[in-house]
Amino acid sequence: MNKKELVAVIIIVALSLIFYFGIKQPIVFSSTVSYIITALIGLVLLYIFIRTVGGKIFGRRTVFLFVGIAVVLPFFMTIKQPIKSSPEVKSLYDAVLALKPDSKVLVSFDYDPPSAPELQPMAESFFMLCFERDLKLIIMGLWPQGPQQAEMALQRAFLEPDIAAKNLKYGVDYVNLGFQTGNEFVIQRMGSSFKSMFQTDYYGTPYDDIPLIRNVTNFSNIDFVFNLSAGYPGTVEWVQVAVDRYGVKLGAGNTAVQAPQMYPYLRAGQLVGLLGGLNGAAEFEKATNIIGKGTKFMVSQSFAHVIVIAFIIIGNAAYFLGEKRREENKPNQTGMNNQPGAN
Amino acid sequence: MDCTGKSQKYTYIAILTLFLSLLLIISSANAVNSEVLVEDTTSAFIPNAPTYVTATDYKYDRGESAIVKWQLSSDDNSTGKITGYEIFRSEADADNFVSIGVVLPGENSFRDKSTENGVSYIYGVVTLYNGRTSQMVLSEPITPGTEIVNWNLLNLFIIGLLIAGSVIFFITHAKRGKKLFIRKIAGLEAIDEAIGRATEMGRPILFIPGINDMDDVQTIAGITLLGRVAKVVADYDIKINMPVARSIVMTVGRETIKEAYVSAGRPDAYSDDMVHYITDEQFGYVAAVDGIMVREKPATCFYLGAFFAESLILAETGNSVGAIQIAGTAMPAQLPFFVAACDYTLIGEELFAASAYLSNEPKQLGSLKGQDVGKFMAMMAIALGVFGATIAEAWGGSFFIWLDEFMHRLFTITN
Amino acid sequence: MEVFGLWLAAFFTLGIISFLYKDNPWYKFSEAVFIGISAGYWFVVSFWDNLYAKFYLGVTANDDYMLFVGAVLGAMMILRLAPNIGWISRWPLAFVVGAISGFYLMNYFSSNVMKQVQNSVIPLFSADYGQSMFTESFGTIAGKIVIAAGTFTGLIYFFFSKEHKGAFGGAAKVGIWVIMITFGASFGYTVMSRMSLLIGRMDFLFGQWLGMIK
Repeated sequence: MNKKELVAVIIIVALSLIFYFGIKQPIVFSSTVSYIITALIGLVLLYIFIRTVGGKIFGRRTVFLFVGIAVVLPFFMTIKQPIKSSPEVKSLYDAVLALKPDSKVLVSFDYDPPSAPELQPMAESFFMLCFERDLKLIIMGLWPQGPQQAEMALQRAFLEPDIAAKNLKYGVDYVNLGFQTGNEFVIQRMGSSFKSMFQTDYYGTPYDDIPLIRNVTNFSNIDFVFNLSAGYPGTVEWVQVAVDRYGVKLGAGNTAVQAPQMYPYLRAGQLVGLLGGLNGAAEFEKATNIIGKGTKFMVSQSFAHVIVIAFIIIGNAAYFLGEKRREENKPNQTGMNNQPGAN
Repeated sequence: MDCTGKSQKYTYIAILTLFLSLLLIISSANAVNSEVLVEDTTSAFIPNAPTYVTATDYKYDRGESAIVKWQLSSDDNSTGKITGYEIFRSEADADNFVSIGVVLPGENSFRDKSTENGVSYIYGVVTLYNGRTSQMVLSEPITPGTEIVNWNLLNLFIIGLLIAGSVIFFITHAKRGKKLFIRKIAGLEAIDEAIGRATEMGRPILFIPGINDMDDVQTIAGITLLGRVAKVVADYDIKINMPVARSIVMTVGRETIKEAYVSAGRPDAYSDDMVHYITDEQFGYVAAVDGIMVREKPATCFYLGAFFAESLILAETGNSVGAIQIAGTAMPAQLPFFVAACDYTLIGEELFAASAYLSNEPKQLGSLKGQDVGKFMAMMAIALGVFGATIAEAWGGSFFIWLDEFMHRLFTITN
Repeated sequence: MEVFGLWLAAFFTLGIISFLYKDNPWYKFSEAVFIGISAGYWFVVSFWDNLYAKFYLGVTANDDYMLFVGAVLGAMMILRLAPNIGWISRWPLAFVVGAISGFYLMNYFSSNVMKQVQNSVIPLFSADYGQSMFTESFGTIAGKIVIAAGTFTGLIYFFFSKEHKGAFGGAAKVGIWVIMITFGASFGYTVMSRMSLLIGRMDFLFGQWLGMIK
């Protein structure tokens, strides 16, 4: 590590300590300041574009810096982004509204902390909606950390005064069956018997001792399934096994990477609704009127997308103008170099 | 004094008063009676029971369901006289009816999803009105059972049989030595070129077989291509580095490369360290591979197998160290990254086709041809179906309507 | 302890992010710790959730003796480590590959082929039987044509039994264009996904760690 880098590390550590101990209140920019900052960023991008056209190429670290700024600055700004629910989000919301009180909803948490920024807001707003509608929740996971993410979403839901006032009881209003290894074979076995896969719940209570699920044999006793998925096993397996074999009604929340693959299933009616990525989470929060991190993060998301589009334009300008310059600087076809002194 | 006149007058008044009183009494009595009559009508009203209650086994399950049907009560009409139907169930040899569900007026069926296989049940249905019920009408006893064959899936079976049959036919055909035509896969030339580059530069080759286990067909295809790469590596004495995320893939990879070295007559040049296990954890694996790329600076990177979120990280890091990159995967979500960041990408089935083309193995060739039969069937179904549906919707015509319905029925799965 | 965990998480987050500048010891250390912990974590999960919870409890608490079959196959797999009898591991491997292929065969066929072909058979222009030719909006008609033609030409591109020449080659070219446009849309979605992960990490750093945001 050279001197410059060491100084940079020391500065980072010092700033971290200053911010950690020094800042007592969250920092919020007024809307005027927010718009000024936005305009400044726009001007800098324009400057970069002009310099690129002029021949100066900016490195990848400039892109990293701008993406970082685009993601972080909106946290402090007071700009709000209008959000409109798309048809697939609305149809999931309507499907949940159509469930009668005391209907049993199975929620499968098939993701881990790396995918939490996209899927955790969906989980929280879904739980809040279900509790508001007096639906009974049966939680499970095909990924090891899934049930832990579910617990975090439950804790968040219970902070809402309306839901806290309901005094929901574990084992009666909701239950966490925990993680089960076996991927799609777990879903297959659940088609005949839930108990064969989950002899106890997350806390070790025997299946038959839990009032909510003691009469639940298999999928035919479940009214709706909601799957939050970040990969394999996930929504694809739930569609192929639970929907196509056992006729389950399935809604899904997916990371934005996976969401495009789910649209054929949505079109074919195998999914009743789909939440795709952070955008889907924000739209669902809008539909349910439960505003959470999905909505909060959308401004950062939009800023980041604008930066990416700007750099795509700048990059393409650099590429095509660079090609043009290379063409212009090529020696002519006669092979003669016309500079003085040449032989 | 005319007492007689006054008496008469009072008599008339008394009689009139009495008469009026009687009238009042009678009318109020009538009113009471009529109220009582109305009340009596309400309390006496018992809705008519439904008729023809039948129970049948729900087809194609494990004896977990039964369907109860009935004819609507004659009181079930637009006057709103009834509030619904309640369904009861008892085991056939016991008289302990319990309520299992309530449906709204106008509905004449109910699916009982909590039966046990082999147990006989009798169902009863009553009409409901304001807490009062009609007489219960019983069904005949039924015993839900398991059906061995789900005839609803006959179309799936036939189409599956056709495709599987084609695969078997072409495999047999190939085993007999008959040549099966497969069009040239452009990506294969890129593989040879990439290996040549590594030879020229004297830098190692990095081979990533994906992060799934050997049960994934993409990993199998990747390992088949590894065989081809390993052969050239063994012949030209290039270094190959193959970090893996699954222990079984490690053992299979070692076998493949070892075999290549043995075939090239250089078994001593092989080392088990060429294929090494990192971790099962996705991002832990990719962090380690990134570190390997940055430190060893391979000339060529092969990404052939199943990938998830780590695909772009790998491709970007490979690009930053200046390696030529050939990718191949059937993961639709990862293909865009490989197409954007790699020099050549085998898209989806091209990976399997390349594997078949290179290995010339009858099973792989035959499978590919059999799958082409399936694709041909799908293409014809879509072409004919869209044609028939469009003409049928726009202009009718019995043939086109039949064609549209036939194509829909052919590919409809009913559970 | 919570504060220590917070600082540790921030330390490793910044360490991994430092790779954007260049490879450095802080990144190497964070990477090594991550790899080590993840390998250990998966080992622990495999032991407690598979060996103990499924096998041991399944046999002792639920008398499910069929689990011995799986256990024996698993033990045969480990015999790979012994060079002389390593060939035994091919049997459980063959079982796993065969069983999973059989399981997937009908699942994939039903969900990814039959249902998708069924939903690709759509009338292109109108929605009323025997009424008029164009009863739907231009956008809906264009969408339907793209779905039908895109699916058809995409299948042509992946047809390996015929050379891509002439009209067939032209259709294959249309197919690959449709596929590439799909990849572009998918790429856009994935950019969104990656940004979301970065937003999550930044929220952790500036929110939970430094307390600068709500």
